[in-house]
Amino acid sequence: MLCPNCGIDNIPGEDSCESCGTDLAGLDLPEAGSGFRGRMLSDRIGDLRLSPAVTVAPDCTVEEAIQRMRQARSGCVLVADGGELLGIFNERHVLTRVLRETRDPAATAITEVMSAGPLALSPEDPPAHAVHCMVDYGFRHLPVVADGKILGYVSVRNILDYIHTDLSVR
Amino acid sequence: MRPGIEEILKKVRIYELPQRAVSMVDMSTPLGEVYRLLDEEHSVAVLVLEEKKLVGIFTERDILYRTALEGDPATPIGELMTRDAVTLRPDDRLAEAIAVMTEKGIRHLPIVSAKGETGLIGGRDVLRLIADYYPETVLNLPPRLNQKMSRPEGG
Repeated sequence: MLCPNCGIDNIPGEDSCESCGTDLAGLDLPEAGSGFRGRMLSDRIGDLRLSPAVTVAPDCTVEEAIQRMRQARSGCVLVADGGELLGIFNERHVLTRVLRETRDPAATAITEVMSAGPLALSPEDPPAHAVHCMVDYGFRHLPVVADGKILGYVSVRNILDYIHTDLSVR
Repeated sequence: MRPGIEEILKKVRIYELPQRAVSMVDMSTPLGEVYRLLDEEHSVAVLVLEEKKLVGIFTERDILYRTALEGDPATPIGELMTRDAVTLRPDDRLAEAIAVMTEKGIRHLPIVSAKGETGLIGGRDVLRLIADYYPETVLNLPPRLNQKMSRPEGG
């Protein structure tokens, strides 16, 4: 357990720091929920600034999807049919599913190259859950869906902004 | 009491993060070869070196914006790369990396040492550090009942 005064690592449960004598009693209680760790669990993704969803229909071509991504400066498109989320396609897929396979973007439907049935989050989910998915599954974009409506997506960039804002204001 | 994540991010230096895969090429490397490297080496960017010095970067985002529909695989990457990229040093703090990424909208930062050694860090590397620091918060969340989680799809 680190002494808050001199930083020396003490045996957990020590009453005072072995180096500088600072009173340590009571400091090794579990971290209160007000720290950043607490906010990662108690904040809601719905309260973060989400990236606006760039949505295309299933019959959209890859070429059109890429142009929509360019116009919107977005790293992904969501494929939806009447508001129902069907799939996601991101900039890495351009390389691994279009260029690698030498598909003609103008003649390929987005449904042929998207990731179908993608993992989506609820606006009630905490940021910690988004971080978990991004780190464990390698996803960079997570659609946020509620009551059958696509609200947007949360990206690695959105989470970094959340962290940076949190650090700056505290 | 364990230091908060704020303290960690202000203390940890970039060189303490695991090295991310990054491909290195020279200015004459053709675009088609860059595609192959990014794909096979699972990297998000190539660093372009000339006489062992970093002169540019080309990323997946550049593919999306500039070459996906109109790129010629024979074009030398020197004509397509971004020059004068913002870089950081290995002994810069992680908090500085986050500030640069968010304030300049850059997601992948080349890292250049005083000796000219190069590397790359990205936003997900920061998230991985946070996940590792708070495993009980981030990685051990209980599963959600409405999701089948064998290997979900996504991007």
